[in-house]
Amino acid sequence: MLDSVVAAETPEGIMLEMRPAGISARCCAFVIDWLIRLAILWVAAIVAGVLGGIGAAFWFVLIFALEWFYPVVFELGRAGATPGKRTMGLKVVMDNGLPVTPAASFLRNLLRGADFLPFGFGAAIVSMMVRGDNKRLGDLAASTLVVHLPRPAAKATLDMVTPLAPAYALPARDQSALIALAARAPTLTLERLEELAALAAPVQGTQPRPADEVARRVLGVAQWLLGRRA
Amino acid sequence: MTPLHFETLYQPEWDELEAQVKAVLGGKARRAKAADPVRGERVALLYRRACEHLALARARAYPRYLLDRLDRLTADAHQVIYQRSEFGLARLKRAASVDFPRAVRAHAAYVWMSAALFVVPTLLVGWLVYQRPDLILSVVDTQTAAQFEQMYSDSADSIGSLRTSDDDWQMFGYYIWNNISIAFQCFAAGIFGGVGSMFYLVFNGVMGGAVAGYLTERGLGSTFYSFVVTHAAFELTAIVLSGGVGLRLGHSLISPGRRSRLQSLVVAARECTVILYGVTVMLLIAAAIEAFWSSSRWLPLTAKYSVAALCWLAVFAYLTFQGRRAD
Repeated sequence: MLDSVVAAETPEGIMLEMRPAGISARCCAFVIDWLIRLAILWVAAIVAGVLGGIGAAFWFVLIFALEWFYPVVFELGRAGATPGKRTMGLKVVMDNGLPVTPAASFLRNLLRGADFLPFGFGAAIVSMMVRGDNKRLGDLAASTLVVHLPRPAAKATLDMVTPLAPAYALPARDQSALIALAARAPTLTLERLEELAALAAPVQGTQPRPADEVARRVLGVAQWLLGRRA
Repeated sequence: MTPLHFETLYQPEWDELEAQVKAVLGGKARRAKAADPVRGERVALLYRRACEHLALARARAYPRYLLDRLDRLTADAHQVIYQRSEFGLARLKRAASVDFPRAVRAHAAYVWMSAALFVVPTLLVGWLVYQRPDLILSVVDTQTAAQFEQMYSDSADSIGSLRTSDDDWQMFGYYIWNNISIAFQCFAAGIFGGVGSMFYLVFNGVMGGAVAGYLTERGLGSTFYSFVVTHAAFELTAIVLSGGVGLRLGHSLISPGRRSRLQSLVVAARECTVILYGVTVMLLIAAAIEAFWSSSRWLPLTAKYSVAALCWLAVFAYLTFQGRRAD
């Protein structure tokens, strides 16, 4: 597998697969959050200017709260992500796939103070580049993980192809490869589809046939393997 | 069994589980509106079945969309079933009355080390600057030194001269932002083998000592000490505590014992988190005292010093004795 997948085993004995978010996605999320915080502070500064001393107090407290607790509040919410992360399709979870706990969220965001050092989030960037699961120091200590929200794979809907029994019994791996090809078929160009189908040509019989015919028959075999019958 | 057969056979179960999980995650309003009431034992049963189906589907190399659906379904249900709730008044009460002081005592060695790193430079630099006031210029520039002097002098702009309540509020906000950030920084930097915490502790100690020594030498001691002594009970203790937690983090990395370095860090962090909660609360208290009590100059000095003594006693008694008899 080329994907960087982190698996967590559950007590039921299945592996939960999670895809850790890389530096670029997390940087974008950070910039979005930063702009949001800036906008809030800007609006608050206008309001505080009207209110005088109490307004200024409110403004300083707001800086403090936004600096340290803005992420905590959102991570403990239902989405498990700040608005920036949600926009990028990311989420903070525990190592074992569970929602992030208040203690872990508090800790990982306090350690932002260390990740920031020596400048420009240098420690965080080094840590994320070194580790396969892209954890920054805060994630390491709090055992949290920033993951991509899963995107559902397309369902193979090739109803116009007639199912066709394979020429010989296929091992499970080949079956899944053919079904995966059928699922990808709508996104491929005709030429590429025929090229790929030619590799699997034996499953639809050994007679010489034109390329488009072979492709259609290979997809037919995939339909048959899925369980469709003529 | 073909994938399609498998799917049509178990689809109803998956749909039911999905609906129940959605109802749980959707909050109260959604739960009330849901067609079926959420039943715990049913969700658990369906979840275990879905796990079985996922394992089967993987072993049989079923198509990706089926695996993805089961993946997502089991992951969501897993979150619902195993989520922990850490909120609640009972937990908060226990944290304040037992867990926090107990955790501090359990880390006494780190706390004393941190205290030494903070207090020794303070006293040393304080004494040096008291002897030779020009030394303050090696810590801060001329302007800042003049500012300090003016802040605690008897002139009109000095701290604690009749300030309006508006200004009190403004300073309250400023202290929260500035002081809590310093304490958090003392903790966070500890992850680099404790060196960062040491640096921030010594740095803040040197700054504090220099200012105190300088002002004492200028004869402004009484204004200065009566101002800082009350909230210092909470503020300095909190900074020392968070420095101690930072040292613990660093030590866990340097000397992990029988754990891997990462595990050791995780365990240390988990054990220390409650101290950080306590530190945050102490700093909020300190900020409130600093803004509303310390700066009020109309109070007689005796009142200020007695309250300060009480605060120091209370903090030390709390950290030393509170929660010893629990369990």
